[in-house]
Amino acid sequence: MIALAGVESCKFMAEFMADLIPGGILFGVVEHDTFVWVKSSESFSLDIFQVGKRLNEDTTTMQAIQNKKVLTQNIPRTVYGLRVVIVSIPIIDDKGDIWGAFTIAFPKLHPVAAAFGDFAPILAEMFPEGAYIYMSDLTKIAYAQASDKFDMPSIAVGYDLKETDIAYRALQTKKPIIEEIDASKYGQPLTIANFPLYDDEHKNLVATLGIVTPKKTAVTLREMSINLESSLEGIAAAIEELSASATEIHTNEGKLNTDIKGIINISEEINEVSAFIKEIADETKMLGLNAAIEAARAGDAGRGFGVVAEEIRKLSAQSKSTVPRIKQLTDTIKGKVEEASRKSNISLDASQGQAAASEEISASIEEITSMSMELSNLAKSL
Amino acid sequence: MSYMQLVVFRLGDEEYALEITFAQEIIRIPERITKMPYLPSYIEGMIDLRGKAIPIIDLKKRFGGVEQSERSVDSRLLILNIENVGIGIIVDDVSEVIKVEEQSIERLNAELSGLGSNRVQGVVRIDERLILLLNGLNFKAEVLTSR
Repeated sequence: MIALAGVESCKFMAEFMADLIPGGILFGVVEHDTFVWVKSSESFSLDIFQVGKRLNEDTTTMQAIQNKKVLTQNIPRTVYGLRVVIVSIPIIDDKGDIWGAFTIAFPKLHPVAAAFGDFAPILAEMFPEGAYIYMSDLTKIAYAQASDKFDMPSIAVGYDLKETDIAYRALQTKKPIIEEIDASKYGQPLTIANFPLYDDEHKNLVATLGIVTPKKTAVTLREMSINLESSLEGIAAAIEELSASATEIHTNEGKLNTDIKGIINISEEINEVSAFIKEIADETKMLGLNAAIEAARAGDAGRGFGVVAEEIRKLSAQSKSTVPRIKQLTDTIKGKVEEASRKSNISLDASQGQAAASEEISASIEEITSMSMELSNLAKSL
Repeated sequence: MSYMQLVVFRLGDEEYALEITFAQEIIRIPERITKMPYLPSYIEGMIDLRGKAIPIIDLKKRFGGVEQSERSVDSRLLILNIENVGIGIIVDDVSEVIKVEEQSIERLNAELSGLGSNRVQGVVRIDERLILLLNGLNFKAEVLTSR
């Protein structure tokens, strides 16, 4: 408690200190129940701190006077519109009777809020794509800091929190929330992190601190890696088809070669048959000649038989003349077929090369695919 | 107009003919020919033709004096019957039996014919071909006479 005689010294001190205290302060002297002297900082004042103003019974000052005790009270925001700490010290006269009180009031700020103006402008510029840093109290945005690269003009100081806002939900759940928001709400994808803040002494929820960062690069990266993955899948499928058809070509060429060998065998068989035809023709010729000899020996009686013999010889000559023609044809077939076989072997080699190449490509694609999946995962974690 | 029927056969590049009445038959050369000792090399040996022994003459050796005559798939044995004597001659091919007018046969002049001991009777001309017509009767004496 202060003696009445010391009040003047207190006033002198207060006059001196008022503008030295960061955040501002109010000093007042109450005689009985009315302010008789008031000193305020330039940055802080309360309506109730006015000379001549009478105090109600429930005020901190009046309680201190009644109880003859130094009293410190935290006044919630609902009373003066901001949180205030009031300290009231009773003043007693020479006789020891209560004369009044010396009352000090200063705004109560969360340390984060107090430092907001110092750290937020620096912090906001530290994010590669910029950041928007804000503090809310229980109902609205109280402080906000934009960066050069990124601003959220729709969420300015004074903005009333809505139920859908992350700050509102952080206050409701009393838990930190980190959320990604797609471009539909603010025109670009964002990450919003919001932490609820408590006051030091009473662990009361008093505010939230939020940082909003754009996610344009990460989202673009993720989209690109997804596109990359899907195009790689397409390429891999195409290559698989390619290698399947190369295998088919390989199989077909193998079959073709077998067929060609079959054709060569058949033309050799044809040659055998034509050798048989020649044999028959030779035999027939001999038969015809012998018949002619026999007919001549028979004289006039054999004349008719001679005609038959002549026909037989003609027939034999005809059938024999087919033999070289058949041989020529089968030789042509053989030549053509061997040419076809040679070409088919060339395309067989080519298709083998193709199969090997597409296998190599497949392996490379697989590598690239796994890399793009890693990239995609990386982009998701950004 | 009288006609003549000839059996035409080939020896190397040359074509020869004999009157058909001297021919008995044409057969393939048998695998088995019995060799005869003490005989000239143009006599291949003997074969058995339906119970009759027939001497086989390699006519190319006899005519051309070649040491060895080639045989092909077309080589045949022409069996002749000249005055009831059977002789087999190995020829490269029996080409045909032809019918020619007797007038179309060019007789060789007596001098030339005499030089060849009357073995070649004449020449038959068919298109570009020249066929030497052998005298069958002389032929028998020729092939069966040692030189």
